[in-house]
Amino acid sequence: MIGVLLFYALYPLVCFLSRRSPEASKKRDRTSVAVNGTAVWDGDTVTLKYAQSGATKQDQSGETKERLKEPVTKEDSPSPNMDEEPLSAGLQDRRKDAAPEMTEVESAVEGEGEGPKMDDGEKVINHDIMYRNQNEKDQSTSTGDHVSEQRALVALPKCLTVEGSMQETSCPEQNHSQTTNLEMPVISVKETLQASNTDKSKTPEEPASAVTECWDDNIVTTRDLPADGAGNSDFAPNPLHSISQTYRKPDELRGAQTGWDFPVRPGLSQEVSCSLRSFPAASYYTTVEPTVPLKVMWRVWEELDAASESVLTPFTIERASLDFTVMSYNILAQDLLELNQHLYAHCPLEVLQWNYRCSLLLSEIEKWAPDILCLQEVQENHYHEDLHPVLSQMGYTCVYQRRTGKKTDGCAICYQSTCFTEAAVSKLEFFRPETKLLDRHNVGIVLLLRPLVATGAELKEAGPPLCVANTHLLFNPRRGDVKLAQLAIMLAEIDAMIKSCKARGEHCNVVFCGDFNAIPYMPLYQLVTTGELYYQGIPTWMVSGQEDLSYKPSYHRLFAPLWPSSLGISDICQYTTENMFKTDCQNSGTRKYTHEFMLQLRLCPAACVRPQDLILIPGVTDNRPDTSEDVQHYYRFRDRLRHQVDLGSVYKHVLHGSGSPEVTTLHSEGGATVDYIFYTPKRAFSKDQRAYKKSAEKGLKLLGSLSLLSEDLLWSMNGLPNHIFPSDHLSLVAQFQLELDNA
Amino acid sequence: MNNKFDALKDDDSGDHEQDQGSPKDSEKEKPEEEEKEQIIIKKKMVVPGPGEHPLQYNYTFWYSRRTPGRPASTQSYEQNIKQIGSFASVEQFWRFYSHMIRPGDLTGHSDFHLFKEGIKPMWEDDANKMGGKWIIRLRKGLASRCWENLILAMLGEQFMVGEEICGAVVSVRFQEDIISIWNKTASDQATTARIRDTLRRVLNLPPNTIMEYKTHTDSIKAWEDFHGLVNASSGR
Repeated sequence: MIGVLLFYALYPLVCFLSRRSPEASKKRDRTSVAVNGTAVWDGDTVTLKYAQSGATKQDQSGETKERLKEPVTKEDSPSPNMDEEPLSAGLQDRRKDAAPEMTEVESAVEGEGEGPKMDDGEKVINHDIMYRNQNEKDQSTSTGDHVSEQRALVALPKCLTVEGSMQETSCPEQNHSQTTNLEMPVISVKETLQASNTDKSKTPEEPASAVTECWDDNIVTTRDLPADGAGNSDFAPNPLHSISQTYRKPDELRGAQTGWDFPVRPGLSQEVSCSLRSFPAASYYTTVEPTVPLKVMWRVWEELDAASESVLTPFTIERASLDFTVMSYNILAQDLLELNQHLYAHCPLEVLQWNYRCSLLLSEIEKWAPDILCLQEVQENHYHEDLHPVLSQMGYTCVYQRRTGKKTDGCAICYQSTCFTEAAVSKLEFFRPETKLLDRHNVGIVLLLRPLVATGAELKEAGPPLCVANTHLLFNPRRGDVKLAQLAIMLAEIDAMIKSCKARGEHCNVVFCGDFNAIPYMPLYQLVTTGELYYQGIPTWMVSGQEDLSYKPSYHRLFAPLWPSSLGISDICQYTTENMFKTDCQNSGTRKYTHEFMLQLRLCPAACVRPQDLILIPGVTDNRPDTSEDVQHYYRFRDRLRHQVDLGSVYKHVLHGSGSPEVTTLHSEGGATVDYIFYTPKRAFSKDQRAYKKSAEKGLKLLGSLSLLSEDLLWSMNGLPNHIFPSDHLSLVAQFQLELDNA
Repeated sequence: MNNKFDALKDDDSGDHEQDQGSPKDSEKEKPEEEEKEQIIIKKKMVVPGPGEHPLQYNYTFWYSRRTPGRPASTQSYEQNIKQIGSFASVEQFWRFYSHMIRPGDLTGHSDFHLFKEGIKPMWEDDANKMGGKWIIRLRKGLASRCWENLILAMLGEQFMVGEEICGAVVSVRFQEDIISIWNKTASDQATTARIRDTLRRVLNLPPNTIMEYKTHTDSIKAWEDFHGLVNASSGR
């Protein structure tokens, strides 16, 4: 009976607490748990279950409420602490109207010691939780019309009072809960997960990774309960009660919030920003039995501050516009995973299985429903067998380009057929047998899309075209020279697309996604974002900055020219001959050269030697090339690489609040930002307002993005891939606004 | 070889003495030249170097200067004109060009000619006899820039008129400079219009710039009419 009681008390609390501290849930420092001032954690088993939310969504709120109270055996009244402390927990207000929750975690907690009774308790509580979840959903549905208004916030107290003793939670995280996502598809993942979770032989690190520090308080509390029955009954109902209260009076809560703002799409979202300890592999923890599902959100949607925007545009002109979402995602090809198993030794085996990862991946795509999806490391057979069929059903049109050579993966761009139509496709292979430098088998895709707008029942092309590019540059940290050349090919193709639009009098905006295998602010990144790079003498390893190889006794440096002119790409990353690659070749075979290109070769070494057969005519053929100003001008720029595509990064590479670096990829050898979404930003327009009014503004307006996570936090989730994130990269998601100039 | 004028390519300074006045003579010359090409191995045709950017056609630079006080004639014109060199690639072009004085810095009554290899910068050449030229008169100070823009566009195949272009000339005169571009078929108005439009674009000419098209037959007639009174090389 005590066990049952304990569970009744424990589960709701856990639910509540995990809601409040989702991000910490993987990073549990059991030893830090203090019970009545004593550090205690004896290895109670705790685990998280990940599942897709959103089973059947009947309106059961009434019933649910009833059931919610069932476990609350003795008192309905919430403890005052629970109700008030959430508000004081330092939640910040965060405006996230349309933020869907990222990942939900159903977690289960179970006291290890209560063997036989466990099953019963587990079932009951499972029900309760499920109903509670449904209840939440129902409630959120009921307020669905005002989703954007709804701020369902639940904060957890920093301190819980149990038996009169204050227990300081070990992390000062803020958290909030959101309604669960009604749109979340039910996928068999849930069953899989449950099955795997109930498997007692599962890897020991899972429990560790599944528990938040906040849970510790919770657990400690509940473990204390048996010692004090009254305390138990007083405390137990609180979580549930406070949650439901929260939903009833979101406004009240919101009023009390400071600093944070929450996503309010039906769904549960939470964010924790506490300093966390790393637990890469807490394998010494005892195994855990999963039971109760809990929902946790790991990543939140961050909208761009509307205030700062309005500074840029003091007055807005009504225009038709198209909001669209772009996702860039390196999904980790299974073959590469298996080839580099040492990078994923920290992962439980089941999260490395393709079927499992694939279903997580697809549900993540479905959740964010990007209008444009740029995938890297898409294994060819998986693309054809698993991804493409589902993506097609989801309304995507896909373009796939496999890497050349022996590697089985490639890149894909998928776009919603109802939003865009294809105007041009370029599949690029960076392997150029005639150019020694380009001996690597990486690829890229450049698409030219035209926005579709519904006019009546019809979809019509409208507005300026959008160039979408996706690539996965060479990984090898030492070969910055190859990376730059590959990047130059991409930029040249993008440039050609832009030019083809310009020729029709259209401005073309660019979204350039991919895994660039280069970290922020290093030379390659600089070239992309500033359009310029003085490369002379830079060590090749430094180009990407992935690793500091300066300790090596010798390394190569960059010297002009980076690549031979036979590549057909200039040092302003443009094609030198218009017919070089299937762009605009009217009379194939004609060797056309632009003025700019001809000028670039003016001072090539071959041009500076006096022709042997040139007769000397004083005053006519006695010029010397290096005396003119022009010559010096051209010399000056020979060690410079430029491009003319205006690009900025969606992500700022530092996390909001904590200031720690964002991480887009993580494996056992470390984490970093190497994935990007670059786009043509909307520049503050000139003073010439008339010009502004005449034509649609150039550039894309960034509306928001999906927050990334820090390396510490990811390690607290046991690294990548894990039960929530199916790849060793995180997805990057951004929403843009494209002005349609036919308004 | 990419050069369409391979058959004519041996048109070097050794041909100076030949009479260019008669079309029939020119036609007869062709087989002779081909034979010569096979015999004279030292006169190898220019080819792009390894890794260089081949041009659609090979070109030859010429330079001419009026000999003061001498009566003008076809013969003397031909003797006054000197081949500077031929090239087949962008790089080779710059080798010559960057060792040549800019037209604006030339002294006296002189011309630079840049013609496809095998075409002589003369009205009487087979490629030119049915042709004509666009003429643009420039005030002093503009010639160097305009000439460079013009020949870069020509070498880079920016005129998009197939094989119609024959060559270009910059003529430095006392009070003005003249640039002209020659094409094969004066009667092809579509081509000449296209050349004009491209010229305006690549030279970045003001809209009111006067551009004059002149057929070579007119030029020859005018020259014959005023034979002895007008300098032979003027307007070429």
